[in-house]
Amino acid sequence: MLKSLIEPFRYEKLKLTNESKVKKSSSKVKDWKGTLKRIWGYMSDQKVLFFFVLLMVFISTALTILGPFLVGKGIDIYIVEKSGNHFFFFFVVLVLIYALHSLSIWLQNIWMIKVAQNTVYKIRSDLFRQFHLLPISFFDQKKTGELMSRMTNDVENVSSTLNSSVIQISSSVLTLIGVVSVMLWMSPFLTIITLIVVPLLVVGMKWITRRTGQLFKEQQRSLGELNGYIEETITGQRIVKTFSQENRVMHEFLEKNERLRRSSFWAQTISGFIPKLMHVLNNLSFTLIAGFGGIFALKGWITIGTIVVFAEYARQFTRPLNDLANQFNTLLSAVAGAERVFDLLDEQAEEADFGEYVQSANIKGDIVFDRVSFSYGEESQTIKNISFHVSPGETAALVGATGAGKTTIINLLARFYEINEGRILIDGKDISKLRRSELRQAMGFVLQDPFLFHTTIRENIRYGRLDATDEEVEEAAKLANAHSFIKNLPDQYDTIINEGGTSISQGQKQLLSIARAILKNPSILLLDEATSSIDTVTELKIQEALERLMKGRTSFVIAHRLNTIKKADQIFVIQDGRIVEKGSHDELLEKEGFYFDLVTNQLKPQLKTKDMLSEIKDHI
Amino acid sequence: MKEVASFLKPYRLAVVIALALMLTELTVELVQPLFMAKIVDDGILKRDLSAVVHWGLVMVGVSALAFAAGIINSFFAAHVSQSFGFDIRKVLFGKIQSFSFANYNQFSNSSFITRMTNDVSQVQNTIFMGLRIMLRAPLLVVGGAVMALAVNFTLSFILIVILPCLIFFLLWMMKRAGSMFRIVQEKLDTVNKVIQENLTNMRLIKAFLRNDYEVNRFQKANKDLKDQTISVLRFMEIMQPVLLFVMNVSILIILWAAHAGPSEVKVGEVVAIVNYSTRIISVLSMLSFIVSGFSRAKASSLRISEVLQTEVKLTDELAESSHQITEGKIEFRSVSFAYPDSAVKVLDDVSFTVNAGETMAVMGATGSGKSTLLNLIPRLYDLEKGAVYIDGFDIRTIKLEHLRRSIGMVPQESLLFTGTVKDNILWGKEDATMEEIIAAAKDAQIHDTILKLPHGYDTLISQKGVNLSGGQKQRISIARALVRKPKILLLDDSTSALDLKTERKLLQALMKYPCTTLIITQKILTAMAADQILLLENGKVLAKGRHDELIRSVPLYQKIYESQYGKDGIRHAQKSY
Repeated sequence: MLKSLIEPFRYEKLKLTNESKVKKSSSKVKDWKGTLKRIWGYMSDQKVLFFFVLLMVFISTALTILGPFLVGKGIDIYIVEKSGNHFFFFFVVLVLIYALHSLSIWLQNIWMIKVAQNTVYKIRSDLFRQFHLLPISFFDQKKTGELMSRMTNDVENVSSTLNSSVIQISSSVLTLIGVVSVMLWMSPFLTIITLIVVPLLVVGMKWITRRTGQLFKEQQRSLGELNGYIEETITGQRIVKTFSQENRVMHEFLEKNERLRRSSFWAQTISGFIPKLMHVLNNLSFTLIAGFGGIFALKGWITIGTIVVFAEYARQFTRPLNDLANQFNTLLSAVAGAERVFDLLDEQAEEADFGEYVQSANIKGDIVFDRVSFSYGEESQTIKNISFHVSPGETAALVGATGAGKTTIINLLARFYEINEGRILIDGKDISKLRRSELRQAMGFVLQDPFLFHTTIRENIRYGRLDATDEEVEEAAKLANAHSFIKNLPDQYDTIINEGGTSISQGQKQLLSIARAILKNPSILLLDEATSSIDTVTELKIQEALERLMKGRTSFVIAHRLNTIKKADQIFVIQDGRIVEKGSHDELLEKEGFYFDLVTNQLKPQLKTKDMLSEIKDHI
Repeated sequence: MKEVASFLKPYRLAVVIALALMLTELTVELVQPLFMAKIVDDGILKRDLSAVVHWGLVMVGVSALAFAAGIINSFFAAHVSQSFGFDIRKVLFGKIQSFSFANYNQFSNSSFITRMTNDVSQVQNTIFMGLRIMLRAPLLVVGGAVMALAVNFTLSFILIVILPCLIFFLLWMMKRAGSMFRIVQEKLDTVNKVIQENLTNMRLIKAFLRNDYEVNRFQKANKDLKDQTISVLRFMEIMQPVLLFVMNVSILIILWAAHAGPSEVKVGEVVAIVNYSTRIISVLSMLSFIVSGFSRAKASSLRISEVLQTEVKLTDELAESSHQITEGKIEFRSVSFAYPDSAVKVLDDVSFTVNAGETMAVMGATGSGKSTLLNLIPRLYDLEKGAVYIDGFDIRTIKLEHLRRSIGMVPQESLLFTGTVKDNILWGKEDATMEEIIAAAKDAQIHDTILKLPHGYDTLISQKGVNLSGGQKQRISIARALVRKPKILLLDDSTSALDLKTERKLLQALMKYPCTTLIITQKILTAMAADQILLLENGKVLAKGRHDELIRSVPLYQKIYESQYGKDGIRHAQKSY
């Protein structure tokens, strides 16, 4: 019993970050303005509709005041005096006024919903486009679920505010203006006394918003983090389960959950003070009117009637202020959400794709790496001063230990990352000056992780070329040796790949991703461990298709299995980001260097003694 | 709905306090005019300044009281709603953790995420709002109506007719809107799904230049969400104008009644009734706001309950704690298996025994059921036919946690989590010492690589683990399995990204672990080192035995050998045994 009484006051205070203390409140306010301005910018092409919304708000507010006024008159005429003239007319006029009143409210609401949802739609679209403009390196560091949260939870906050708050706030402001003008007209002196509370209000609001602005941002951040954690653990469920780490995950989850609770608690509590503050100041002004009014009336400066009317107006003053205050919470959290969205939109996007236009079909595939160096971050260099030349139509194999930098070379060729030093040339042209889109259009990829989408097998293959016919899709599948297993599935090409990926195996996914690359029909082919999960018998079958595919195209192949490497025109042995050996299969065997070691390792079963070496060389 | 509401139970007292405080505020608001009247009657009319001051101070006093009540109410309301959300998220997450893989397919991942964050927030916000303003509106409506009736029953009779109608109207709206909001949340799921897919597959999308395609796909989902949101909100917006119109017209009817009715109707009564009616009107818009919030919360609660009520079939029901894994002997007795939503048998009548400490290699074509076979050992799925035995116990009778703790599994896709390298290895054994971690890393042939990372074992790995190559990730996930010194080690083609030299060293290091090992491999070389080889074809056991047995008599095995060492190789091999 006692516990539940104390509990609400037990939340540990959140430290406001130092950053904000340095920045001072003035810049915070500026942030506010900037954010609101940007939201307004999003509404810009709907200004006309928005104008009509405001017009309707104006009309409905005016009618809200007119209606009761007429009713009052009606009471005087038809009930007090009991004069029966034109009552029916009066009745009809009022019904019409009320109908108009309801109509204007309805219109302002549905129009505002349209404005709001279109705005939110645009923000979401922009955010999504921005995702596609950001460089790969951005995603390397961010959690998927955290980014998702900006798209849903943060944008949602903006949405709910636009839906309800805008109308409420503008109608409150209008009413407020109206009431204050009438008060001024009646007694400027009492009005000033009533408004004495305003400075108090400003001080109080400042105290609150300085905290809540940050608290709401913290709340949204915690929510994003929690979202990220949920996404990660649900995606990684297999590991959580097989390692029976449910407790650990639960524990970490609770920590993040607690952080969210704490930041939301303070955000909600403190922003909850706003209406209370409004109330107390209102009551205060009511008291001031009564007290001072009483004194003035005693002195004979004003009449009792004025006090009564004024008090009534002070009450009128309350309602819009109250509404305003209630909307403030949503507005605050919306600004916090919007700020996070805009932060993301302000991230440095990839350089605009304005390079020289070379039609992808005309790219022949002459590739030169000229003293290329690259590192992923502040870490040591992944690629160190690599140079090589691959002529059009040639196949180059990249071999070497894991982590040597093979995949990185392919990443650089596709311009997923920009190199730090040196040049990469395609057909003699520096790729950093070419258009990324045309460059990638010329390339066919089979990436290390065979990503597939949650859709049908057919659509997944068609991803290679969207305008491919069903026949072409099946043809590609046949070449990749995927056709037969697809035919055995219950829904064949219409089988939907589920998220857990249980319906098809890893090796089958690789077959599909090969089919996808085949369908694209590129002039440069990049195969990164394309067959690593495929059994060797199937691999042999695809090998033929791949060879046919590689014919006449420049190809880069990363593989560990000899079969795949043997026939390459050039083999680059990579170690610690450098090329330590290059040449053809036979040349490299002669050298008896790194490559020789790799190959003999693979053929160990037959290599009982070193004497058998010559025999091996014969039959490889 | 009820289930979700029950999460408020622990906070009953706090709820009552919050509501009481709210009523205090409301009372103060209502009595202020009385004190005002006192000032006028006792002070001004009687020309008594001290009375003015006296009542003025009383007004200040009650204002302060209301303020204090309001502030404390804020604390209680925030506490209740936030703790409520905290508890629901906790239970939801726990429930999801307890799901079997068959359960996961019932929802999409993105839907789980939306339910746990967005839906919970919706309910939570409604509760917070409720505790601060909810009672106000209905109380003012009922209070207003009762007062009006008390003043003049006949005149305000219309209110008795109208108000129940309006309440039914609101309830009907709530019901309709509830199901519409549900669709909104489902559309949100779809939007979330597209985003998630895009974020995880960004490299592929860029490689295939499918930005426009994906943007279009997203726009469609986004537009669906927008349209559905607009349509439900539009529907809700009917409410406020209708309520206002009906109430306003009822006032006119009251006036008409007073005008046409018997002349003894007092003017004061009419004014009072009209006054009360206008008060009711002023809170009606608040009421429509509340109804809209409630409909939304209802839709979200249903979605939350759906997860909570999902039946988990894979449980410890049959488990007996005496069934302990000590040796690690694995036995499959005519196991057949099909994935929950399909009729295709992935495994068909598979039987084999692997003695404790032995190694079995599993080979077979892509899609022949190798991974599935491995997944059945830690009981990720339950069987329909046959059974898996470990140390003579049906695994359904072994405690799930004990079973899984005895197994070290390295899946095909090396999935790492955000955190340091050390954290990731610690997944295998929470209380492992640094020595144990290093030993495991050394055996997994990753120790040297880790030392070369900028911060060694404390280097942060991001969710996608980009700063590591495919092979490095694989080896960390092997270290993760080794650090727990499992009785049973399951390697699902986990060396595919390793070069042969590293792989060889790794396999040698594995020899010294005294565990039963099942290893899926494509490589003959790896298979040769095993005590037995299980060859699968289309889910059936095609052959089992040692390398030298299989190479002589099994055509498929010969074919695999040939694919790796050529025709000459196979002759050579057959000769040498």
